[in-house]
Amino acid sequence: MERSARPWVLIGALALMTVGIAVLLLGSEGSGTGAENVGDDGTAVLTAPAPDRPIPTRERDADASNATTSSPRPSCKATDSNPGGDNNYIPDAPRASSLGRGFVIEGFVRAAAGCEPLPGVRVQVWLATATGTEQDNRASVLTDDEGRYRLPTSATVAQFGEPNIHVAYDGDAYEQVFIRRVVDLDDRRAVVNLTLRER
Amino acid sequence: MRLRLAAALGATVLVVLALGSDHLSGADGLLVASTLTGALLTGGLAVQPLLVLGRRRIGEHRVLGTGLVALAAGHVGALFLLAPDDALFAMSPDGPTRARMALIAIVALLLAAALAAVGPRTRWDRRTWRLVHAYLGLVVVVLGVGHAVLTDGALEGVGTPLLLGLGALGAAGIVAAVGRDALNRR
Repeated sequence: MERSARPWVLIGALALMTVGIAVLLLGSEGSGTGAENVGDDGTAVLTAPAPDRPIPTRERDADASNATTSSPRPSCKATDSNPGGDNNYIPDAPRASSLGRGFVIEGFVRAAAGCEPLPGVRVQVWLATATGTEQDNRASVLTDDEGRYRLPTSATVAQFGEPNIHVAYDGDAYEQVFIRRVVDLDDRRAVVNLTLRER
Repeated sequence: MRLRLAAALGATVLVVLALGSDHLSGADGLLVASTLTGALLTGGLAVQPLLVLGRRRIGEHRVLGTGLVALAAGHVGALFLLAPDDALFAMSPDGPTRARMALIAIVALLLAAALAAVGPRTRWDRRTWRLVHAYLGLVVVVLGVGHAVLTDGALEGVGTPLLLGLGALGAAGIVAAVGRDALNRR
């Protein structure tokens, strides 16, 4: 025998399902958790990020005049990996100075303790461009004396519905960090700074 | 009949647009397969409710419904084979909104198909059964088309209004079918 659901029960159940779906959608981040858009047109001059906690003037003056004076070292919040950061990661990307033209991925690498720039650190970058997918379009670059790295690439293309880039520190001296960020198709640069935590 | 032809034509144009896009130029066969199954899925979703409007073509509605489930499986399967890491991430709680829309749409599609399969054996009356089936269909259309519109790829640009048009046609068809049921009961 067929059972007829009371209309208000049925409408209530469907309304509840609709609210549940809305909550699920509103609870997500547009490009995935922690994947902020870091793209720009590449015209602004890139500057090193400032320490999170400015050094008080008196301490800085004391440091300058007397190296033996102890003062608290500035600290910077370490960069955390975000979900999806290690998607399509393959260790030991070959060293390369360029993956093409039309787009640049660059940034500064510094230590969390002391906020000092880290020269000679190997940074791995991978992304989908017209010349390759994330699985085969990857390279390692070293930071310069200012802790800065830079890798020109071909223009980005959408990978899984959106252009996104990956930057990682996968060495042994500091804790590993795997970053996934998004850009727009007409962007010319992505800036990803890394602040590394000592092991 | 005209609406069904329009939906079929829309799906064909979507496929032609996808095949001619720069995004698929020289792309992996799996990416081509996932895009084409997605385009056909969108067109099929627009046609599906129209089959039970007017002269009710239940047999065709069932065949197309089975085809839609197969297309969805092909779409997701191709993406998994193409980039397993990205596919798992997309379906995780940390995935982007467009992926969550697709995930919910697929769950709704499977529930609608399961409801269709066990329909005659449920203890619900026909009106309740059809309303729940229609609701699930509406979720599939709205979120499935939303997923397609928010996805950068082969169906951008001219494809966007076409996707929205097919979605509107599918949603209108479902609402019309439910409305007709309500009128017939009076």
